[in-house]
Amino acid sequence: MSSTIIETSGLTRNYIDICALKPLDLMVPDGEWLSVMGHSGSGKSTLMNLVGGLDRPSAGSLRVGGEDLLKLSEDGLARFRREFVGIIFQQHHLVPYLTAVENVMLAQYFHSVPDEAEARSALERVGLGHRLMNRPGELSGGEQQRVCIARAIINSPKLLLGDEPTGNLDHKSTIMVMELLKELRAEERFTIIMVTHNQEVAAWGDRTIYLDDGVLVREERKVS
Amino acid sequence: MVALKLIPHLLAWVGIVLVLLRGFPRSRSVITAVGVAGFALGVAGASILLRSYPGEISFGIIRGVVAGVFLLLWGVAVATIYRSTAREFQIFSGEKLVNAPGYAGSVAFLTSLIAGAVCVCRLPVIDGATLEFILLVLASVALSYALAYGAKAVEKFLPSAVTVSQPALIVAVVALLLFSSSSLIRLDIFSPLSMKVMKFAHDFVHQFFESMLIPDHLFIRTYLWGYIGLLFGKEVGFWGGLIIWFTPVVLILLAIRFEIMPSVAHIRQGAQRRKVLAAAIRERRYRLVIPLLALLIFAAAAYRSSFPSVEYWDPKPLPVLANEAGEIFIPRKGEIDLEDGKLHKYLFKQGGKEARFFVLLTPAGQLTVDLDACAICKPDGYGQAEGTVYCYYCKTLIPLETVGKPGGCNPVPIPFTVKEDGVHIDGMTMINIWNTTVQATTGTKGGGK
Repeated sequence: MSSTIIETSGLTRNYIDICALKPLDLMVPDGEWLSVMGHSGSGKSTLMNLVGGLDRPSAGSLRVGGEDLLKLSEDGLARFRREFVGIIFQQHHLVPYLTAVENVMLAQYFHSVPDEAEARSALERVGLGHRLMNRPGELSGGEQQRVCIARAIINSPKLLLGDEPTGNLDHKSTIMVMELLKELRAEERFTIIMVTHNQEVAAWGDRTIYLDDGVLVREERKVS
Repeated sequence: MVALKLIPHLLAWVGIVLVLLRGFPRSRSVITAVGVAGFALGVAGASILLRSYPGEISFGIIRGVVAGVFLLLWGVAVATIYRSTAREFQIFSGEKLVNAPGYAGSVAFLTSLIAGAVCVCRLPVIDGATLEFILLVLASVALSYALAYGAKAVEKFLPSAVTVSQPALIVAVVALLLFSSSSLIRLDIFSPLSMKVMKFAHDFVHQFFESMLIPDHLFIRTYLWGYIGLLFGKEVGFWGGLIIWFTPVVLILLAIRFEIMPSVAHIRQGAQRRKVLAAAIRERRYRLVIPLLALLIFAAAAYRSSFPSVEYWDPKPLPVLANEAGEIFIPRKGEIDLEDGKLHKYLFKQGGKEARFFVLLTPAGQLTVDLDACAICKPDGYGQAEGTVYCYYCKTLIPLETVGKPGGCNPVPIPFTVKEDGVHIDGMTMINIWNTTVQATTGTKGGGK
């Protein structure tokens, strides 16, 4: 955890006359698990969209993995997202008419080339070896989220972003998903930034930051 | 006007320079400089050759070089597809040759030399005037210099992803050289190739079915000959020629398409492994661009060769009559000189029937009398171009050497007698042959082939 993977300075995002994220200075060391908490509209998702290259800031500087995202073109941002970032959403956004393995292969296709054996292996890693050929509608919420995790990690991202990944899951499934993320992080050594409302989920992180009305108001570090 | 005719040839050479610049990115300056020198020397050398040996010999030499380059392409194509199967040559290593110092320059020099020589064949031959010759060479230096450095500037704007492998470079260069030469009848190798294929098909069928030529053969009925006859058509020669032209390009395309991907077994991370593969696939896709363009250029060359830009000698048929004995007499020397090497057309009418024919002195020095029609096509007649007669209907070029011989697209020969005073032909025979061959052909085939 020596080098810094995310570095922001005065990072701001305005939507016309609404300031969703007020000037934010944040540093995330490589390999850290950062939880982001806050009420609805506090700027959590805005921060994640900016860090993941899904949105552009209105002001300030933003460096992720050594790249200045403000200087990247649209193609550059697409390459950055493709090669650097994996995202897990609360709504799974799986393609309903593709099987689990095909959903994972789709991420491979947009990254480089599909490799079915590798996609199968990724699903086996998340405990879905018996559900490879099932479509999302035939999977439980927890299983669908695990497909999302397999899809998010298939391209070996350096940064894994989770936007309320357990928001729709029951307690048992939540624990299962978090255990899985912990294991994968230990193996792959990626950085996790996870937005959540759930204090228990946030506690899995190394550090938790609290946003309120677009301002970083508090920071808690896990006592090991 | 002459300058306009040169444009396709000069564009073809610019294309060659562009491909060479992209194929040898480390030798840009060498290619432009050597290319200019090669082009100018090609112009000078071909001018001297055409002046020293007027006639077919000089053109034959240049055509032979172009044909040799095409044969080389065949060799490269076969070697490329062979190597794509991961076999290694034991006695010859292509890489060694390509990496040898001076290879890029040599290729640029030789191709420019040929391109320059082909360009000169479009110009009128310089007869003896040294000043004109010097001016021509100086103009070629200036023009090629401007074009080569223009090409160098343009090449920088081409997408960097479009790369050229060595086989692709050769296929593109050969396609452009053939494009340049195909519009000149005397340098065109496409039409003679088509004719040879057609003749091969004809001879093959003839030899193969000789024993079955009996009209009441047990299996081969007369009507079947109508279908077998299709093999003698110009289409067989055309498509056969196309196969011979396009096959090397297709082989090179296949070799690139199915070339073995780089080994990624040593890369542990799956995403990284796939990235390397994706990059190789993308690169391979871009390497297909130039051979695909070459394929189009070959098609354009084949098309151009069907419409060679030459001026035809197309005389109006002169009406002739038979004497009381039914004999047509055409004087050897008179208002028309039969031995001037030109096609002389006549129209003979008798009893409501008519026949068109021509008299020509062949390169062998023999007079020949033939119908102004063949036994296959609609009788649109023939025009004369340099070294050939040209069927207006099917656009076939027939070398003057073969005029007077029966078969294929050749004009139908007529029996005649040559005497001191001129040519004597039996009028009734003429009408009969026209009726039995030409009219019958147009009747059964509904407007020719």
